[in-house]
Amino acid sequence: MIRLHNVAKVYDGGVVAVQEVSMDVRKGEFVFLVGPSGSGKSTLIRMCLREEKVTRGKIWVAGKDITKLPTWRVPYLRRTVGTVFQDFKLLPNKTVAENVAFALKVTGCPRSIVRRQVNTVLELVGLSAKTDRYPRQLSGGEQQRVSIARAFVNRPPILLADEPTGNLDPATSVGIMRLLDRINRTGTTVMMATHDFAIVDAMRRRVVQLDRGRVVRDQGESGYESSDES
Amino acid sequence: MSTLLFLIGEAFVNLRRNALVATGAVLAVFVSLALAFGALVFNELVRVNTLQWQEGDHLIIFLKDEGGPVAHSELLEQINDYPEVKNAWYMDKAGAYQEFLEIYSDQPALAATVTAADLPASIRVELDDISTYQEVQFRLVGHPLLRRLSVFSEGIERLLSLTGVLNSIGIGLVVLMGASAVVLIANTIRMAIYARREEIAIMKLVGAGNWFIRVPFIIEGATVGLLGGGLAAAAVFASHNLLERIPTDILIRFQVDPGFLLSRTILILAFGGLAGFIGSSLGLRRFLRV
Repeated sequence: MIRLHNVAKVYDGGVVAVQEVSMDVRKGEFVFLVGPSGSGKSTLIRMCLREEKVTRGKIWVAGKDITKLPTWRVPYLRRTVGTVFQDFKLLPNKTVAENVAFALKVTGCPRSIVRRQVNTVLELVGLSAKTDRYPRQLSGGEQQRVSIARAFVNRPPILLADEPTGNLDPATSVGIMRLLDRINRTGTTVMMATHDFAIVDAMRRRVVQLDRGRVVRDQGESGYESSDES
Repeated sequence: MSTLLFLIGEAFVNLRRNALVATGAVLAVFVSLALAFGALVFNELVRVNTLQWQEGDHLIIFLKDEGGPVAHSELLEQINDYPEVKNAWYMDKAGAYQEFLEIYSDQPALAATVTAADLPASIRVELDDISTYQEVQFRLVGHPLLRRLSVFSEGIERLLSLTGVLNSIGIGLVVLMGASAVVLIANTIRMAIYARREEIAIMKLVGAGNWFIRVPFIIEGATVGLLGGGLAAAAVFASHNLLERIPTDILIRFQVDPGFLLSRTILILAFGGLAGFIGSSLGLRRFLRV
């Protein structure tokens, strides 16, 4: 579902963020990207969304080589990939329902379908009672649920999450992870960058560890630290 | 269709949220376009008021009816013999009526109240040297056939020579004010986008295409331009109505053809909308790179 081949990213000024990363994420897989700050996790996710262009190598997302994608096709790529971020990235002047609906409206989806889908997904994330609230009127955990609802509302085959529990307390983080796990069980491929070893250890899924831009471990059903080390 | 309605709705929500800046832009566009529109009307007033002088008539000698065409012909012969006169010709009542209808073609109500009999015959004089008009005037003072003498004075001569300059200044002003309206709208939209750059980044992340982001801003810019243009047209109409009430003689007119005002209003509104479209497109360009 996601394939990276010898991917490298060098920023202006020669800062190397990612080097020679190759990995395959199969359909329906849940993969954790772990590693210290500056190891290249977020850059990898940004490259999969074409927020950043690769310096070298190739990335295929849902079967398409996105390194060759013309600029005008990028929005279509992003409609097939749900995204969740640490800072939620909600539109502050739209209500919960409007934020979620926005992801469908950009695709030109008819109003009746938008309404139905939004209600369904808000029910899934447990926010049916707060559809008319604005982001500022919600807790951090609730805002992240809205963000997940928006990422999942058009049933994307892939969901990318960059530190989705980074701003949340442990109890709320567990709730968010349950939600992501539930989404993964519907067949959605999930790739999540995180620092949260407790979550990685609890979930026991595939772990790709990065260090200074390189993959230093790729292990199935693993914890935050290598099974060999623990 | 629902997408278009959504985008229009977004534009008006943006305008409401951005009300202060948008109001400032509307007023600035209003001032620019009112000046531009004012320049167009002023040019038209100059053109209308100098129309009868532009055909080479330097003096118009309005004649009394006494004596009839025979006496008028004798006077015409005398005038043609004056050394200062290059050419003189007679306009009878019918000709005067035709000219009247031409000048007041935009005011049929006025034309309906006047007949050929109400208008005086006249002798139109073209001089060799415009500065000698006072000598001709002197010769004619006290002549029994003279009803009134209209002089194409040096002031009018200067005004006419200035007409070309005024036209150029007017057109320059229209272009300058139009360009400033575009820049003002571009700046307003750029400020609006800058204030919402994070929102735009989020919209892009969830898959919004450039046109989806662009259209509300373009509608916003076009609305600002249309409102500014509408206010400018209203101000010019109001000023024109005030000017119309000033009592004038046959020489000075403060009225322009309503058709002229209407066509220029449509032009100003269209320009306002177009300025908004161009301005917002310019303002958006650098913010929409993926």
